[in-house]
Amino acid sequence: MTDAAISRSTRALLLLLAVELVVFGLFGRNFLTLGNAFEVVRASVELGLLALALTAVIATGGIDLSVGSLVGLCAVVFGWLAREAGLAVPIAAALAVLAGTLGGLLNGWLVTSLRVPPLIVTLGSYSLYRGLAEAATGGVANYTGFPDGFLSLGQGTLWGGIPTQLPLLLLAFLFFWALVHRSVIGRGLQAIGYAPEAARHAGVPVGARLRLVYVLSGSVAGVASLVYVARLGQAKADAGTGFELMAITAVVLGGTSIFGGHASVPGTLVGLFVLALLQNGLRLADQPAELAGVLTGMLLLLALVLSRERKPS
Amino acid sequence: MISPRVPSPHGRSRELSLLAALAAILLVLGWKAPRFFAAANLADLATSVAPALVAAMGMTLVILARQIDISIGSQFAVCGVVLGLVAKLGLPVPLAAGSAILAGASLGAINGALVAGFGLPSIVVTLATMVAWREGLRWATEGTWVRGLPESFQWLGLGQKGGRLLIVATAAAVFALVAWGLVSLRAGRSVYATGSDAEAARLVGLRPRRVVFGVFVAMGALTGLAAVLTTLQFIDVQANAGVGLELRVIAAVVVGGVAISGGRGTSTGVLLGVLFLAVLGPALVFLGGKAHWDRALQGAIILLAVASEAARRRGAAHD
Repeated sequence: MTDAAISRSTRALLLLLAVELVVFGLFGRNFLTLGNAFEVVRASVELGLLALALTAVIATGGIDLSVGSLVGLCAVVFGWLAREAGLAVPIAAALAVLAGTLGGLLNGWLVTSLRVPPLIVTLGSYSLYRGLAEAATGGVANYTGFPDGFLSLGQGTLWGGIPTQLPLLLLAFLFFWALVHRSVIGRGLQAIGYAPEAARHAGVPVGARLRLVYVLSGSVAGVASLVYVARLGQAKADAGTGFELMAITAVVLGGTSIFGGHASVPGTLVGLFVLALLQNGLRLADQPAELAGVLTGMLLLLALVLSRERKPS
Repeated sequence: MISPRVPSPHGRSRELSLLAALAAILLVLGWKAPRFFAAANLADLATSVAPALVAAMGMTLVILARQIDISIGSQFAVCGVVLGLVAKLGLPVPLAAGSAILAGASLGAINGALVAGFGLPSIVVTLATMVAWREGLRWATEGTWVRGLPESFQWLGLGQKGGRLLIVATAAAVFALVAWGLVSLRAGRSVYATGSDAEAARLVGLRPRRVVFGVFVAMGALTGLAAVLTTLQFIDVQANAGVGLELRVIAAVVVGGVAISGGRGTSTGVLLGVLFLAVLGPALVFLGGKAHWDRALQGAIILLAVASEAARRRGAAHD
C-alpha cells in the first residue's frame, strides 16, 4: 500500500502507453497525427466519464454494473422527451440526467439501506434499466433528427479541431480527482473500501458516502448518454451496451484496487487511453478489431497479477 | 428463533415463496391462457430450460464457494463452435460432445488457476476471460456460423421428440447429481464450507484453493454441456451464441436464494429460480403482454428477491 507501489503501477501503465505510441506510430497509417489524437479522444469520452465515476465507486469496494444500461435508458428518455414529447432540448437533457440520478439513487438506496451487495444490486438494475429502455421503445424505436446545436456536443469542434466533448471529460476528471484525492470525502471513500467497519468507527458517514458515489455514477451515466446520442445522432435502447465492462477494465488497469481501499483517478484516465489507443491503433494498422478485445483481456489479467501485492489480505 | 436442526438459518422460506409465485403464475395462465399448457408449448419450454438449468447448477457451485463467473457466455460460444467443428470432421456426436465439455472444463481451469492460484478476484478474472474468449472466437471464426453439420447431429439423429427427451433427461440428471453431491458428498460439503469461511475450512483440514479451482472447472464443463444441449437443437452453430447468458444464469441462482456472499443456498431453490425466470417471459406473452417488458421484469424480480431477503435478514437480526 505504499506510494512507491502505486506510482510504480502508474509508471508501468505510462510505459505501456508509450510502447503503444511507438508501435502504432511505426505500423499504423496516420496514427501519430493531431487529427487522430482528437478522434481517439472523441470516441472515448463517454467511456471515460463512466470510468471516472466508477473509480469512486470501486474505491469504496463497490461496483456498478448498471452504468451501461443506464446510458441506454437515459438516451431513450432524452430521445423521447426531445422528439416525441416535443420538449426543448436543454429541458429534455436535464430530465435525462435526472433519470440517471434517480437510477443511481435506487442503486445507492438498495446498497445502503438494505445492505445488499452492490454486485447483485447493480446486476438487477443492469437488467431493469436496459429492460425499461427496451420496453419504452418496443425494442425498435430510434430517435433521430436532433437539432444541430445539440449534435455539435458530440460531433463539433472548438478552436480549430478540439472535440467539443473534451472539456467535459477534463472537467469530470478534475472533479473526480479533487473528490477522491483532495477531499475529506475521498479519504472517507477509500477508508470505506479498506475497512467499512473501521471507517464507521472513525466517524465516516458510510451510508451517505456510498449513496453519494452511486448517485454520482447515475448522474454521470446520464451525461454520458447525452454525449453518446450527440456523437451518433441517434437514441436507441441499446446505447452503451457493454460500456460497464470496458469502464471497469479501464479503472482496474489504472491501478484502482477492485477490492476497494485504494483508487487512482489519473490512473483511470491513463487506463482509458491505453484501451482507446489499442483499439484505434490496431484499426489503423489494419489488424482485426477483435485482437483489441483479446489484448484488453490479457492486459487486464496482467495488471491484476502485477498488482497482487496491493491486495488487502 | 433458529432451530439447530435446520441447516440454513432461513429455513425453506425462499423455496416456499418461489413455489407460491410459480404456482400463482401457472394458475393465472391456466385461467386466462390455457393454451400455455398445450403439450407442444410445454415441450418447447422444457427444452429451452434444460441448458439454462445445467449452467445454473455450475453457477450454484461457484457462488456457494463465494466466487462468481461472468465468462460463461463466452465459454458457451467457444464450446458450441468446438462442438460444431468436431462434428463436421465426421466424428461421432458423443465424441464431439465430449470435446466441447472438455473445452469448457479447460477454459474453466484457466479461470480457476488464476483465481485459486494467484488469489485474484474472480469477478475481474472472469471479466477479462469473458472479453478475451469472445473476441478471440470472433477473430478465429470471423463471425461466421458453423454450417452444414451432418444429419446425425441435430437431435442426435433421434428426431425431435427423442432428442428433446434426451436433452431434458440429461439436464434432470445433472440437477439430481449436483443436488445430491452438494448435500451428501464430502466435496459438496467442502464447497459450502469454503464459501462460508475459507480460513475456517482450511483449519479443519479442507483445501479451499482446490475447492475453488474445482468449482471453476465444474462450471466450465457444465457450460460446455449446456452448449451441447443447446446446439443439438439446431443445424448451425452461431459464433455469437451465449451473449448475456452469465447474467441470466446468475439472476436465476440469486433469485433461487443462493447468497452471493457464499455458503448458503439449496439446489431446490435454484431449480425453482430457473423455472420461475424461464416461465416469466412466455407467460408475459401468453397473457397478452409485450415481450420486450421481459427484461425489465426480470431485473425488477432480482431486485425484489434480494431486497426481501435483506429485509428478512434485518428482521431476524432484531429478534
